Amino acid sequence: MTEQLVQQLLNWITLGSIYALVAVGFSLLFGVLNIIHFSHGDVSLLAPFLALAAVQTVSASVGGSPAVVAIVLSVLLAVIVTGLLGVVLYYLVIKRFQNAPAMMALVATVALGIVLRELIRHLYPQGSNPHAVPRLVPGSIEVLGVTIPAFNLVAILVSVLSVGLLFYMLERTRLGLHIKAVSQDRDAARLISISPARIFQITFFIASAIGAIGGLFFAGYAGIVRFDFSVDVGLIGFSAAVVGGLGSMPGAIIGSLLIAGLDTLVQATVPNGASYRLVFVFLLVICVLVFRPAGLLGRTIVEKV
Amino acid sequence: MSVTATRGTSGAATALSIVALTEIGSAAFLRQFLLAEDWRVVVGLLGFFAIVLVGLQRLPTVEARIEGAFSAQSRFATLLGIAIVLLFPFLLEKSTYALHLLIIAQLYAVLALALNFQLGSANIPNFATGASYGIGAYASALLALNWDVSFWLALPAAAVVATIFGFVLGVPSMRTRDSYLALVTIAFGVVVHQLLNNLEFTGGPNGLVGIPAPELFGHSFASPLVIFGHSLPSQANFYYLSAALVGVSILFAARLHHSRIGLAWNALRADELAARCQGINATWYKVLAFVVDAFLAGFAGTIYAFYVGFISPDNFTFLVSVTIMTMVIAGGMDNTLGVIVGAFLLTMLPEKLRAFSDYRILFFGVTVIAFLMIRPQGIFPQRLRRYGG
Repeated sequence: MTEQLVQQLLNWITLGSIYALVAVGFSLLFGVLNIIHFSHGDVSLLAPFLALAAVQTVSASVGGSPAVVAIVLSVLLAVIVTGLLGVVLYYLVIKRFQNAPAMMALVATVALGIVLRELIRHLYPQGSNPHAVPRLVPGSIEVLGVTIPAFNLVAILVSVLSVGLLFYMLERTRLGLHIKAVSQDRDAARLISISPARIFQITFFIASAIGAIGGLFFAGYAGIVRFDFSVDVGLIGFSAAVVGGLGSMPGAIIGSLLIAGLDTLVQATVPNGASYRLVFVFLLVICVLVFRPAGLLGRTIVEKV
Repeated sequence: MSVTATRGTSGAATALSIVALTEIGSAAFLRQFLLAEDWRVVVGLLGFFAIVLVGLQRLPTVEARIEGAFSAQSRFATLLGIAIVLLFPFLLEKSTYALHLLIIAQLYAVLALALNFQLGSANIPNFATGASYGIGAYASALLALNWDVSFWLALPAAAVVATIFGFVLGVPSMRTRDSYLALVTIAFGVVVHQLLNNLEFTGGPNGLVGIPAPELFGHSFASPLVIFGHSLPSQANFYYLSAALVGVSILFAARLHHSRIGLAWNALRADELAARCQGINATWYKVLAFVVDAFLAGFAGTIYAFYVGFISPDNFTFLVSVTIMTMVIAGGMDNTLGVIVGAFLLTMLPEKLRAFSDYRILFFGVTVIAFLMIRPQGIFPQRLRRYGG
C-alpha cells in the first residue's frame, strides 16, 4: 500500500517537473514579449526527434550502440539546436505579430505549430509512425523497500536545476535585470541602451531550450514519441501556465504540479482514466479560470475609467 | 449617392450589366475551377483569381463602381444570385465529385459565418466551433438512430442541443478574456472530442453508422433528383438543402449586422471598457455571440451527419475549428462575402491540388501564416459602417 502511494507520489512529482519545464517557457515568453507562443509545445518536441536522429547517425557510423558520451552529446546538441530554432522561428514569424492584436498572434502560432508538426511528419524518416525512445537513464535505486527508477530522479533533478538556474538568472544577474526591464517597459529599456531585440532573441533561446529538455524527458517518460504528441504537451504546458497565471514563474510551477497531480490521480483511480485525462485536466482549468480569471498567481488586471 | 435624372436610366442599365457580368463571371469561374482536372489548370485559375484581386486593390474606383452597382440594384443582384444557385447543378455535367465539394464548401461557409459573429464582429476567439458542429451532428444522428426521429425534427432539435452547449461554453466567457478565453474554448473543444471518442453511446472511435437519408414529400434524398425531365445525382438534394441554409445564414448575418446587436458587438470589438461605459451589457452580448455561433453550427452539423450517413469523432477535431477560423481570417473578418469566399477557397483548394494531397494540412498552416502576415485583413477587408443614406 505505502509502496504504491510512494510510487504514485513519485510519478506525480516527475510528471509535474516535466510539465513545469514546458510551462515555464510559456510564462517567460508571455511575460517578456506579451505573446502566447502556442507552438511552444511543438518546438519542445523537436528535441527528442533531433536527439534520436543524432543517436541513430552515431550508432550507424560506430556500428553498434553508441557510447554514453555520444548519447549525452546528442542530447545536448538537440537542446541547443532546438533553442536556436526557437530564435529562427521568432525572426521568421513571431516577430511580425508582436504589435498585432493578441488574437492574431495566437492564431498565427497555432498555425505555426501545425506546420512544425507536419514538417516532422513529412521530413523525418517514417514520421507518421511512433518512434521508440530508450530511457535515457536505465537502472533503479532501492530506498526503504521501494524501487525508484533512476530516470525519474534524474528528470526531477534536471528540472529543478534548470528552473532554479532560470530563477537565479532572472533574479541575480545583469541579463535577468535586462530581461525584466524589457518586460516592464520596452521603450524605457531602450533609453538606457538595452536592446529589446537582443533580449527577445535570448528569451526565445532560453524558453525553447528549457522546453526542449522538457520534451526530451516527456518522450523518455512515455518511452515513445510521435509527431502529434506536441498537441498534448503544448496544451498541458499552456494550461499549467494559465492556471498558475501567465507571466508568473512560480505560478507556472504550481500550475504544473496541480495538473500533474490531477493527471496521476485520474490515471490511478478512474477506470480507463488514461483516455479521459485531458477531460479532467481541462475541467480543472475551466473551474480555476471561472473563479480566478487571471490564474492563481496572475496579476488581476484593474482598469480605471 | 445622388444620381441625376438624365443619367438615371443609362446609369441603371450599366449597373444592371455590371451586376450580371460580375455574378455570371464568378459562377463561370467557379464551374471551371470545380471541373478542372489538371493541376496546371487549377493553378492557372488561381493565378487569374489572384490577378483580379490585386487589380481590384490597385484600382479602387473599379471596386467602388462594382460595389455601387450592387447596392443600387440589390434586388436584381439577389434574384440573379438565387437563379444562378438554382441552375448551377445543371451545369456540372453530373459530376458527383463537384457537387460533393460544393456541399462541403457550403456547410463550411455556414460554420464560418457562425464563427464570424464572434471572431469578426465581437473579436472573441472561439476555438470550439468544430465542437458545436460535432454536437449538432451527434445529437441529430442519435435522435435518428435511437428514436427514429425524422430529419426535419432532428434538425431543430440538434440546433437546440448545440445552442445549450454554446450557452454553457459562453458562461465562463463572462469572466475570462483574450488568451484565457481562447484556452477555455480550446479546452471545451478537446473535452467534447475526447468524450465523443470514449463514451459508450456515441460509438467511441468508430462513430455512428447508418444515419438514414432524409425524406421530403415521399422523395428520398438518397435517390436522384428529377426536375423537368432532367435527372441530377442524389447529391443535388443536399446541395439545395445546404444552399438554403447558406441563404438563411446570410440573411441572419445581414439582419444581425444591421441591428443594435451587431452594433453592440462591434463596440465590444473596438473597446470593451468603453462599450460597458456606454451601457452595453457586455456579458449578455458575449454569451449571445456564443449562442448564435452554436445554433448555426448545430444546423450545419445535422446536415453533414445526414448527408454523409456516417460520423466519427475525427470529423470534429481541434483542427476543424482552426480550419474554420482560417476561413474567417483569410476571407475577411466581419465581411459576409469575404467569409463565404474564404470558406469556398479553403475547402476546395486542398481538394483540387491533388498533387499535394499529402501535404494539405501543412498547406493550411502555411496559408494561415501567409495571410496573417501579408494581408491580415483578409481577401475582402471589413467595410466601414455606413449610416443614413
